[in-house]
Amino acid sequence: MPKPQRDTIRGKVAVIGIGLSPTGKVPGQSPLALAADASLKAIRDAGLQKAEIDGVLCSHAFASPFHRFSVALSEYIGIAPTFSNTLQVSGATAATMFNVGAAAIVGGLAETVLVAGGDSLLTGLTPDLALRSMTESRDQQYEMPFGIPVANTFAMTVHRHMKEFGTTAEQLAQVAVTSRQHASRTPGAQQTKPITVDDVLSSPMVTTPYHKLDCSLISDGGAAFVLVSAEKAKSLGIEKPIYILGAGECYTHEHIFLMPSLTVTGAVESGRRAYAMAGYGAADIDLAGIYDCFTGTLIMMLEDLGFCKKGEGGPFVADGQMTYGGQTPTNTHGGLLSFAHSGMPGSLFHFYEVLQQLRGDCGVRQIAGANLGLVHSLGAGFATNATTIFGTEATL
Amino acid sequence: MITAEEAIKKPLPAPDGDTAPLWAGLHEGKLLLQHCRHCHNVQYYQQQLCRACGSDELEHRAASGAGKVHSFSVVHRAPGPAFKSDVPYAVLLVELAEGPRMISTYTGGPPEDVTFDMAVQLVLEKVSDEITLPRFRRA
Repeated sequence: MPKPQRDTIRGKVAVIGIGLSPTGKVPGQSPLALAADASLKAIRDAGLQKAEIDGVLCSHAFASPFHRFSVALSEYIGIAPTFSNTLQVSGATAATMFNVGAAAIVGGLAETVLVAGGDSLLTGLTPDLALRSMTESRDQQYEMPFGIPVANTFAMTVHRHMKEFGTTAEQLAQVAVTSRQHASRTPGAQQTKPITVDDVLSSPMVTTPYHKLDCSLISDGGAAFVLVSAEKAKSLGIEKPIYILGAGECYTHEHIFLMPSLTVTGAVESGRRAYAMAGYGAADIDLAGIYDCFTGTLIMMLEDLGFCKKGEGGPFVADGQMTYGGQTPTNTHGGLLSFAHSGMPGSLFHFYEVLQQLRGDCGVRQIAGANLGLVHSLGAGFATNATTIFGTEATL
Repeated sequence: MITAEEAIKKPLPAPDGDTAPLWAGLHEGKLLLQHCRHCHNVQYYQQQLCRACGSDELEHRAASGAGKVHSFSVVHRAPGPAFKSDVPYAVLLVELAEGPRMISTYTGGPPEDVTFDMAVQLVLEKVSDEITLPRFRRA
């Protein structure tokens, strides 16, 4: 086993509070209201008062007019933090908030950091505008004039993956089927009706090779977390602090046409850095939460994060290795495909699930003896990748 | 936030200091690539420096227009109202003979014709008084 990098943030920061807003279809709740709801729940869960929060990190919200979402959220819940930022690396933002938050605590910029996000993509925007707002993140000169939705960038990567490695549409569909099975046991999941591979393949085509059921949901919702130093978690008498053991990020390109390889992503380096810091490898991970904006995205990430060999993600999934009893149960809440996807906060739901699992609080979904969890967030056609590895006290 | 009215319009490039020569070239019938005099790197994305070596000695040369389809995806659900009447259309990731890749769309046939590594040829399509878009047909 590699030697953990103890001169980093490894093991020095703990998550002591987690909060989830209502998710799915939540009409009448602004992104700020959803983020505030989750934040106050997380602060309460940590046993703290809101005035004790001195750092706030947020993701951006499509349905919110506030560019400084972290500042607006602080005003909304009535606090005046001394460290704040609204991070923007698309879908990877979630993991970066944990990574940056941990670094801020270890570096002395803040003592108690609230990580939060909320958005109302389903009821705060019309479906066309929600899609259009997603596409606005593509280049206005080189990409957008050709009508390339962000879905298309992910579609082209997995399409090439199918050509190079023989990954099949049925294997992609299996990811949706397994995610739906997982969501059926998760309170608050947006889609819980069982589906089959045939259902996925016969759902309308969105952008080849992705059918409607290969695509993630459009949802409302927010989640929030409270981070403090390991010492502070101890002094507060937190029953089950979950420690940040590893963090890694990688940004290989901005434009899809400048992606070095369509089939090998920045997740390889992002994961490698996180594993090296943690001193653990993919084989040690008890469960994963992996950004699943599309079925094929998850297959490619299982490969690049080392859970299986390159090109074998399809068979890995078809063989039941991403579910209970398999090698690496992944997205046990149902993921973006079936639990909820409210834009940039979407990946925070993976964090919520993995942290709940590591606390042992998942009831019927609980993975026995889960001590080590990995969450990977990514965005913008694999332009942005960020990984965080968490562990219980036993893994320090 | 954008309004429903704005969403109906197709986005057209607004040339800037970096891209004005590219769009002017296309309008005049040439796809201009940047060739680095120092390290011979070729880039489609227009910028002031060579991405490979950092040199600012970049020279515009017209591309041959030949390329092949590195990947593609046929869009059936349009990204917003502006593209609704165009579906289905094939978005291409074209690898130019000179090396760089670029995003474009397939023209001159049904999207089902597109296959991996298919040879394609540049077609220039004037879409406004200032803008000509580079598209590709089967070679």
